[in-house]
Amino acid sequence: MNTPYGELLVALRPELCLVVGALVALAVDLPKSSRSPTQRLQISSTIGAIAIIAALVCGLDAGLPGQLFSGVFNLDMLAQASRAGVLGLALLTLGITAGTSRLRHPAEFVAIILFATAGFTLMAVAQQLLLAFLALELASLSLYVLAGFDKTRPESAEAALKYFLFGGVSAAFMLFGFSLIYGITGSIELPEIAHRLAMTDTSPLLMVALVMVLVAFGFKAAAAPFHLWAPDVYEGAPAPASALIASASKLAGFTLFLRLLWPGLGAVSGNLTGTAGWLPVVALIAVASMLLSNLAALAQSNVRRLLAYSAIAHAGALLLGVIAAGTSGPSPVFYYAATYGLATVGAFGVIAVIERTGPCHSLSDLAGLRTRSPLLTGCLFVFILSLAGIPPLAGFVGKFVVFSAALKLGGLAGWMALLAIFLSAIALYYYLLILKQALVVPAAAPTSAPLRVPPVAAFALLITAGLIVLLGLWPSLLLGLF
Amino acid sequence: MSQLQLCLVLSSFLFCIGLIGAMARSNTILVLLGVELMLNAANINFIAFWRYGPDHAAGTGILFVLFSIAIAASEAAVGLALVIAVYRHQKNIRLQEANRLKG
Repeated sequence: MNTPYGELLVALRPELCLVVGALVALAVDLPKSSRSPTQRLQISSTIGAIAIIAALVCGLDAGLPGQLFSGVFNLDMLAQASRAGVLGLALLTLGITAGTSRLRHPAEFVAIILFATAGFTLMAVAQQLLLAFLALELASLSLYVLAGFDKTRPESAEAALKYFLFGGVSAAFMLFGFSLIYGITGSIELPEIAHRLAMTDTSPLLMVALVMVLVAFGFKAAAAPFHLWAPDVYEGAPAPASALIASASKLAGFTLFLRLLWPGLGAVSGNLTGTAGWLPVVALIAVASMLLSNLAALAQSNVRRLLAYSAIAHAGALLLGVIAAGTSGPSPVFYYAATYGLATVGAFGVIAVIERTGPCHSLSDLAGLRTRSPLLTGCLFVFILSLAGIPPLAGFVGKFVVFSAALKLGGLAGWMALLAIFLSAIALYYYLLILKQALVVPAAAPTSAPLRVPPVAAFALLITAGLIVLLGLWPSLLLGLF
Repeated sequence: MSQLQLCLVLSSFLFCIGLIGAMARSNTILVLLGVELMLNAANINFIAFWRYGPDHAAGTGILFVLFSIAIAASEAAVGLALVIAVYRHQKNIRLQEANRLKG
């Protein structure tokens, strides 16, 4: 058998850049030296940024080779776009890390961010169950470590342990589901699976497999009722780690999810009016996520937990987009996930900058931000309004394309879209609570000193805010891709 | 009952034991054991489907199992590291006492 390893090497240059960059960052930091942690952080994040930019350039340079390595990789437009999106989000996370991190082992942190990013990019191109599982585990295992990286705070270790235990169980569910799919179809390649499933009837065993895979994806995407880890992890993990978990991992996860469900298992999708399949289950998870999270967020007073519940609500809306993707194509979900990722990276970046000088737990810690740092307030304003879906920001266009795709489907999906629109109005309340603290409420005496924003972090935040406005004004930059 | 069915019954049984262990135990190490049991149940499935399936020559099931054993090992490594990190702070590994984060 003549295997095209050369082709593979060319197509996987971005992943190579990331892994080599991670190893170089570790190696440079390895010898004992008198450098301070700040200098070490600067050196390793520079190496990391170079690696990610090289990966971006290689990825854009590769074009669209399509199926590779006998169908294990599929480098179509969706894969390339979400690979570029994941790399961009990781770069912004790295910028925030470089500006704000006070960790004792900065090189390891940067290296693990790069490993996680390699996992995300592989998730974006995987078209085979084994590669999908391996990429997902590479990303997840890196994220568990990142969540527990702050060894001085017990909350960080606890968050990582909870994330790990939930994630481990969900990985086992996914593997069991994959094994059943392999047993039913005799193949682990998605096109082959689709071909075999189209010829067979739905069996109870297949339903068990589908439910197990969906349970696992529900965990990974933090959709209700499998969302319990999300608020704890977002609260306990270091802010850059939370940013990566909330943004790039969501984008990569939903790309994989789309590819697995529609091209792979599309033959057994069932429909929303009662035929058995995965569509009713996804619909149930989507509605539960939107309802539970928006109501739970109303009672929150912790900023990070509030962002976690907002993440769960957005996961519900994204699942609605997944349901609609069968007819409208993947572009609404991709646009939504990418712009949502930008807004959360930014929000966690603002939290990270505030945490350099004091705590940022409860909403009142944001009080007086307007006088302390106009730059941060302006950025936070853009991010939060984009999360809430206010025009002309990107969050609004994301909501618009996803909901209109669902409304076009009509029937139950249309009603779900109406519910989502109604719940967006409720969500506006808790988003505005954040902005009220930042813009209106004056600062309490001990925390009223002006905040100094590190230049790298300021640059990353401004780029993020700029991208949100730009993509909101010209959505066709992303939507026109495919 | 055919041999394939027996294997599937065994693996489902193991998966359930693992899930119950992961849900009900309060000792973190025992929860980890439960997760490993669930992963191994899936591995038995892969081997059984490969052994009794039509496509014997391709060896897909075996390959998948090799990779998933490696993943399970690295998961155990990360898990035990996190258990140690928690132990350093709360001096035990009982899950009930890992309750700083709530709200």
